[in-house]
Amino acid sequence: MTTSAYAIEGIDMTRRFGGFAALDGVSLAVPHGEIRGLIGPNGAGKSTLMDVLTGRAQTWSGRVLMDGRDISGLGAVERRRAGLARSFQRTNIFPDLTIDEQIRLAAATAERDNSDEVMAELGLADLAHRRAADVSYGDQRRLDLALALVGRPRVLLLDEPAAGLSMQESMVLAGILRDLAGRWGVTVLLVEHDMEVIFSICSRVTVLHLGKILADGTPDEIRRIPEVVTAYLGSSVE
Amino acid sequence: MTDIAAAPSRSRNVGFPAVLAVLGAAGCALPFLVQSPLLLTLMTQATINAVLATGVGFLLRQNGTVSFGHAAFFGLAAYATALLIKFGLPAELAIVLAVVLPTLLALLLGVVIVRITGVAFSMLTLAVAQAFHELFLKWRELANGDDGMAIAFPAKVFGLDIAIFQQPASMFLVCWLALVGVILGLWLLARSRFGTLTLAIRENEERARYIGYRTVLPRAIIYAISAAVCALGGLLFALYNGFVSPGTLHWSLSGEALIMAIIGGPRLIWGPALGGVIFFFIKNAAGDFTDHWPAVIGITLILVTVLLPRGVGGLLVWLGRRAGGGRGE
Ligand SMILES: Nc1ncnc2c1ncn2[C@@H]1O[C@H](COP(=O)(O)OP(=O)(O)OP(=O)(O)O)[C@@H](O)[C@H]1O
Ligand SMILES: [Mg+2]
Repeated sequence: MTTSAYAIEGIDMTRRFGGFAALDGVSLAVPHGEIRGLIGPNGAGKSTLMDVLTGRAQTWSGRVLMDGRDISGLGAVERRRAGLARSFQRTNIFPDLTIDEQIRLAAATAERDNSDEVMAELGLADLAHRRAADVSYGDQRRLDLALALVGRPRVLLLDEPAAGLSMQESMVLAGILRDLAGRWGVTVLLVEHDMEVIFSICSRVTVLHLGKILADGTPDEIRRIPEVVTAYLGSSVE
Repeated sequence: MTDIAAAPSRSRNVGFPAVLAVLGAAGCALPFLVQSPLLLTLMTQATINAVLATGVGFLLRQNGTVSFGHAAFFGLAAYATALLIKFGLPAELAIVLAVVLPTLLALLLGVVIVRITGVAFSMLTLAVAQAFHELFLKWRELANGDDGMAIAFPAKVFGLDIAIFQQPASMFLVCWLALVGVILGLWLLARSRFGTLTLAIRENEERARYIGYRTVLPRAIIYAISAAVCALGGLLFALYNGFVSPGTLHWSLSGEALIMAIIGGPRLIWGPALGGVIFFFIKNAAGDFTDHWPAVIGITLILVTVLLPRGVGGLLVWLGRRAGGGRGE
């Protein structure tokens, strides 16, 4: 098996809807153990990029490699089983199952069942026997994340895990993510609109704009690029 | 926890087998208490209906899909019994195959049709079932078409006198035990990991894939299991009546089974069986004084869907919880 410096790598990824390229020849590689931020304005193609990497997209071109191995031909199920997990921008859980049931179900496809650890880390242990539909929005967001974290994936793609959370909740979540990623050595690609979260835990940030990569660098470098500031950060960053 | 939404989807109460055992035993006493052969006949037929409804309801519960064609598996089992015996197979083998063949057919069919969702799925099940109905109706050389065919059972099957299956008092026992066994089996299945997986797929098929599960085969297996239960009902029907006609395959029987399941409450494993019994007794009671018994069923169905979205079974659970203060599943 090929070994690669990169845990996950997308090469020349393009995805079109009609004539419109939501993703236009994007290449992106995240080294092992890195937490990479992916930012960009609404409609930039961030979720589309996640869809291509995880096998959700049906029609696309380019290649996706995991640990140097070409997984372009694999479907979503095989990619997950190979250790590539994702969370969703729109909460995507099993409302009628209890939290415990769905986390254990997700863990059952992995080599290691770390359900209890994940529930404890995300503060879901006390809610384990509640139906997912009956818990708060914040808990549902954490559950969505837990479904991706369980089984210790090697690569984690998170699509706005902090969306809809309060600032305080977001920072707590960021802390948990940094902690787990460090402890498990998992590679993370994090899409997030909350710049506090991005700048506090990402070692590098990629900026996507209109389906293309606009910039790539450390948080400090990103903050200083004028185009990025106008295209995305706007005046909200001082 | 008076919210009846909180648990019916998953029966995790271990007291359930105990309740089922008590009910099972109580049912076994009925043939000794009921003297009227007419009533015993009705009870036997109602129990066979309950088996059919349980199969249809299980599909609704686990896959969330509505089949308008499960009478096909009921009728095919009855025809398989008749035809395999006619072709000279030992009755015991014919009886086993009568359940196995429709189940395998359902598995193969399921792998294809469970990919289709919603109304299109229901229409497909209807079309497939009606195709079988037409086949047995039109192909007179095979099974006498509309006239139906008598089943040439030998004097003994599995060492038991065939009369055991054809007299209401003893056949009621057989059917009752079969129903209790089916409900227990499905209950165990529903609380297994496979049961949880299929509920998860029903709820959110996409996310199920993203936690690493293929979704077509589990749905097809549920489809096949529900068909197997209906086939068992058809087999019991064949044993009891010794006769089968295309009516056993007709969509109206599928529709009735669906109504039974909804009246009883398909979120409970045992709900549809309860609905089957209620349906059957309404049909007969109303049928005594009016030809318009379907109207009475229709009104019942409307009342249940409007007032009791979880069916009569859901109401019983709720009453049981209120009375016991605990979980009376
Ligand atoms: N299924 C689809 N059909 C047509 N267009 C689509 C589809 N999915 C996404 N798009 C378009 O592709 C572009 C990129 O969408 P995408 O969801 O990837 O953006 P995003 O960066 O995730 O935005 P947001 O920050 O709002 O989540 C948008 O213009 C969107 O309208
Ligand atoms: Mg998005």
